[in-house]
Amino acid sequence: MEAFILGLSNGATCITYCAPVLVPYLLGEGKGILRNSVLTAQFLSGRLVGYLSFAVFAWGINRSIMQGVNKPDLIIGPAYIVFSLLLIFYGFFRTRTPCTTKCTTGLRHRLLTIWPGSLPIIAGLVTGLSFCPPFLLAFTGAMEKTTILQSMFFFFAFFLGTSIFFIPLPFSGLFRGFAALRIIGRMAAGLIGVYYLYSGIIMLIGGYTI
Amino acid sequence: MKKDTTDTSAIKKRSLFKTLLLCLPMMLLTFMMLSQGSIPTAGERLFALAVTFLFFNLLFFLMVRTGKTDRFRSILFITLAVVFVFSFISNLIAVRGSMALSQAHMIEGETPFCHLVIPMTIIPAAFTKTIIFPGKILGKYSIGGMFVIWIGVSLALGRGLCSWFCFFGGLEDGFSRILKKPIIKNISKKWTYLPYAVLLGIVLMSALTLSPTYCKWLCPFKTVTEYVEITSVQVLIQTIIFVSLFIGLVIVLPILTKRRTQCGLFCPLGALQSVTNKTNVFEVRIDQDKCIQCNKCIKVCPTFSIDEESLGRGSVKASCTKCGKCIDACPQKALFYHVKGTSLNSTFDRYRLLFLYPAFLVLAIITGGFMQDAIVKTIKLITTGTIM
Amino acid sequence: MKTLKGILGYIWAFLAIFIVLATFMGNDYFSEQLASATGVTVSPWFSGGEIVKTVDHGTYKTYMHRPVFDALIGEKREGFVQLNWEPYEGLPPVIQEQIDYNGDSRKDFLITLNTHTGDATLTAQSPTVLSVERSYRLKNGWAVRVILKK
Repeated sequence: MEAFILGLSNGATCITYCAPVLVPYLLGEGKGILRNSVLTAQFLSGRLVGYLSFAVFAWGINRSIMQGVNKPDLIIGPAYIVFSLLLIFYGFFRTRTPCTTKCTTGLRHRLLTIWPGSLPIIAGLVTGLSFCPPFLLAFTGAMEKTTILQSMFFFFAFFLGTSIFFIPLPFSGLFRGFAALRIIGRMAAGLIGVYYLYSGIIMLIGGYTI
Repeated sequence: MKKDTTDTSAIKKRSLFKTLLLCLPMMLLTFMMLSQGSIPTAGERLFALAVTFLFFNLLFFLMVRTGKTDRFRSILFITLAVVFVFSFISNLIAVRGSMALSQAHMIEGETPFCHLVIPMTIIPAAFTKTIIFPGKILGKYSIGGMFVIWIGVSLALGRGLCSWFCFFGGLEDGFSRILKKPIIKNISKKWTYLPYAVLLGIVLMSALTLSPTYCKWLCPFKTVTEYVEITSVQVLIQTIIFVSLFIGLVIVLPILTKRRTQCGLFCPLGALQSVTNKTNVFEVRIDQDKCIQCNKCIKVCPTFSIDEESLGRGSVKASCTKCGKCIDACPQKALFYHVKGTSLNSTFDRYRLLFLYPAFLVLAIITGGFMQDAIVKTIKLITTGTIM
Repeated sequence: MKTLKGILGYIWAFLAIFIVLATFMGNDYFSEQLASATGVTVSPWFSGGEIVKTVDHGTYKTYMHRPVFDALIGEKREGFVQLNWEPYEGLPPVIQEQIDYNGDSRKDFLITLNTHTGDATLTAQSPTVLSVERSYRLKNGWAVRVILKK
């Protein structure tokens, strides 16, 4: 539930940061709602693969590093603090996108030249692997999980939360007037960041007092 | 909608007889609601009823006679906030001995329910059929009672609830009128979206934790009502947060900006009420033939509900609380209350009257009980030295 | 169409005053109707949940509420069970009681409560019983919440 709500609170931000990758192709001429739905499903599949890959990576960190640590809260706590401060900063004070979408533009172009039909899946994978602050918080949360299934389920719930905002995507024209939603989504994410900042501080204090 | 632009002359001053005639229904209604069917026999209660009745109807008379809305609305609105705080705190001290709320009080369902909690309760109620608040479903200050009031006032006034009902808004309204000119004049437009972000955040966190997040962590008005007794570090942090927010958003920023900063830049219920404005029949419109783009309305709007873009469209934003300040301030009388579906004529005072009746009645009803209680307690304090 | 819209607008505006009057004059009635139509109750995280068992000790009674693990969907990993003892005048100086909170005929914990100071101690007899949250002095007695895990 925590992961789902983290995803939900950040979904509005996710879609407006990462949508420029997909929207130009979805809203192209001649593509009906059914075709757009298929493309969106491919995009979301790519995102899910990206997220689940990181779930495995997070579990791997738990097994290799966290298990050997006496007080794991002393690692998770500061991670929460750093990432939540990032989230608060991007939520209230910075307008430029923090995710890796722009950085992977060249790579995407090369892939598209080799395999043009792969765009939605690749775009989804790239945006799923982006290191935006809400994703980093979700990754930290997943690192606390002891089994791989728990970690994957955590990221799956996060994915579901963000994906709700992609549901209207196949229906063209819905991106008009998104500026307000983007600001609200960013600020809501910033406020959720305050919650994680508090959690991180409590973990740090608790870790030191045990 | 086709605009009727035939008559752009100012509203003629209404005759004294007509004004009194228009005030008569309000006099009857306020008397009925204040007395609740029986005139008190005790001296101080009768005095309180008389003073309250006269005060309300004098203000309404002046509203109708002068054509000014906000000038007189604000007097009653600020009075509501002051008497509410006085009455509420004195009742708490009489019953509990302090403003602090203990866990035992919560278990026994003794926490009065306020309208700010409503947004947080909806999703949990839909999923679990329970209200995530330590109050009572029925009775005085109950959950059921406040929900009914919220639904009724929202249907009648939309976001007008924020300027004609909310017993907290008058505090900021009062502080925002202290200085003649604002010291902070420009606030970035992006902050006007913060209430929606707060709404989204608290709704989600309340659903996650099954506890009212805004009440626990953010509500600045706990400073003047009741708060959880400090028994842990977490509660201490919560106390610091809400006191800081009260000082910042309710006192300091309204003084410096001459705006209602808590209402316009933070309140999640206000954000929810903006949605109800879309379906409410009353609205504020701008006659673009009269408008000279002086932007005075933009500068005075307490909730940042007008900007150049909305001015160009001839309307205000959904966050408008229908306080009437922009209407009073406009030198060209270009802004006016309007009833949706009817002709766009800025000279028709009937729209304003149709709005004033339900709006003023709401304000009078909610203020009446607290004002009478405050007067009685003040008399007791003067005559006996105690309010108990 | 324009005339119809205008008439509807005026009617709705006129009705606003009756909505206000009905809201305040009929508040008790409408709130009862709303409560019974929706069937909502106060969240058990605040009220303690429904009473499922009453034990009569003569001068006082023990009320055991149901275990509360309620989440938005499903149940949480940790919850509590609330016990009430009333009336205050009939309580002995120290209450000591064995509690089976889940109805499996096995005692889960022993609770000891000093009714003068409010000190409560717990002897867990089941791995699902964690600790005492705290004791609460109510108007008519005492309440204790015991933290449980699933």
